[in-house]
Amino acid sequence: MDTLLLVGTRKGLFLIRGSQNGWQVEEPQLPGWQINHAVLDPRDGTLYACTNSWVYGGTVHRSSDLGQSWERSEELGLPEESGLKLASTWHLEPGHPSQPSTLWLGGEPGVLFRSEDSGATWAANEALLAHETRERWAPGAGGLVCHSIALDPENAERLWIGISAAGVFRSEDRGGSWEPANAGTEACFMSDDPFPEVGQCVHKVLAHPARPDRLWQQNHCGVYRSDDAGASWERLDENGLPSRFGFGLALDPGDPDVAYVIPEVGPENRVTSDGRLGIYRTGDAGASWNPTVAVDPAWAAVLREGMSFDANGGVYAGTQSGFVYALRDGQVTEAARHLPPILSVEAAAWQ
Amino acid sequence: MAVVILPGLLATEAGGQKRFELGAETVGGALRALPVANLLLDETGAVRPLVHVYVDGERERDLDSPLAPTATIRIVAAIAGG
Repeated sequence: MDTLLLVGTRKGLFLIRGSQNGWQVEEPQLPGWQINHAVLDPRDGTLYACTNSWVYGGTVHRSSDLGQSWERSEELGLPEESGLKLASTWHLEPGHPSQPSTLWLGGEPGVLFRSEDSGATWAANEALLAHETRERWAPGAGGLVCHSIALDPENAERLWIGISAAGVFRSEDRGGSWEPANAGTEACFMSDDPFPEVGQCVHKVLAHPARPDRLWQQNHCGVYRSDDAGASWERLDENGLPSRFGFGLALDPGDPDVAYVIPEVGPENRVTSDGRLGIYRTGDAGASWNPTVAVDPAWAAVLREGMSFDANGGVYAGTQSGFVYALRDGQVTEAARHLPPILSVEAAAWQ
Repeated sequence: MAVVILPGLLATEAGGQKRFELGAETVGGALRALPVANLLLDETGAVRPLVHVYVDGERERDLDSPLAPTATIRIVAAIAGG
């Protein structure tokens, strides 16, 4: 079993195949499109890409033959009564294994869609559109973006989403309703109320695929873990991380106490800390962190979708300067260089 | 039949077809008949801001404008980004 990296860039989608012979970068696909995220559905091998254009807006492309041919989704937009227009598509999450035709799609402005026909058509999530806290949401630097969709590994009715800057929301009824799940996470940019119900600038949320109720979060204002399905969060960035700020987050499916982050200097200087690209690992649930340095010196930037992991403990990161790094067995290798600015990385297995 | 000519990216999205002959009474009717209509128009049916529609060489902003059967519509993507 080898590794397939799906690398979304400002100028097309790149597939990078990794084997014992090294890394092979293929010709770009979907030229002309900005790929905010791409993922291989592990349930049936379909490739999905969140495709965006300055001119033609945001949509989704899918391929059942690993990119040899593509179809574009139909019926992707927001209902007129919402008064909102879809600005861009950001993250696509294949649904629970028990719901093989279900997909979730996050986008801007703070919107979520669900498809029940494997991405042919999409329905906007009405409960999120009409959420009672929506007027208190504020866009982050990347916009008001629903970028994280985390599924409960066992309970097909439960999922979490992360929106910048609105925070984390949990649904227990497959998106029928949403409750804020931000207790204990700081909105350090709000001087009057740094622990509000909503308004936190969550950068990435992941649910551990094997331990129910364990969530990890890289936030504008810290790294956090929850062991109660998001009811409360514990801050973790004060023992070995050079900064609380960052975007990328990766886990190890085989060990729920392992997580990886890439700290950046801070919100006003979004480059990797200490003049190097450091991938920091915790093996004790965030009690301590230690770096593996990929490149030194470096003033790199890895965006929120730009970090991924696989089932074998591998971690992957793509930079805005177009380099892709693979961390496996404590060793870093360069998987690609000189790609367009990288927006997303996803790792998948291929045969 | 009016003719619609698409730029390269839209032609790719239309299965490689760059030129369409359409029987439509209005400019909007012609655009809505294209297989890339949802890239030209947003969910309200309005032309996206950076999509420019030219009818026989003149910029056309009114989708309700009547379309002569001899007309040629060119879709031009405004330059944006880097």
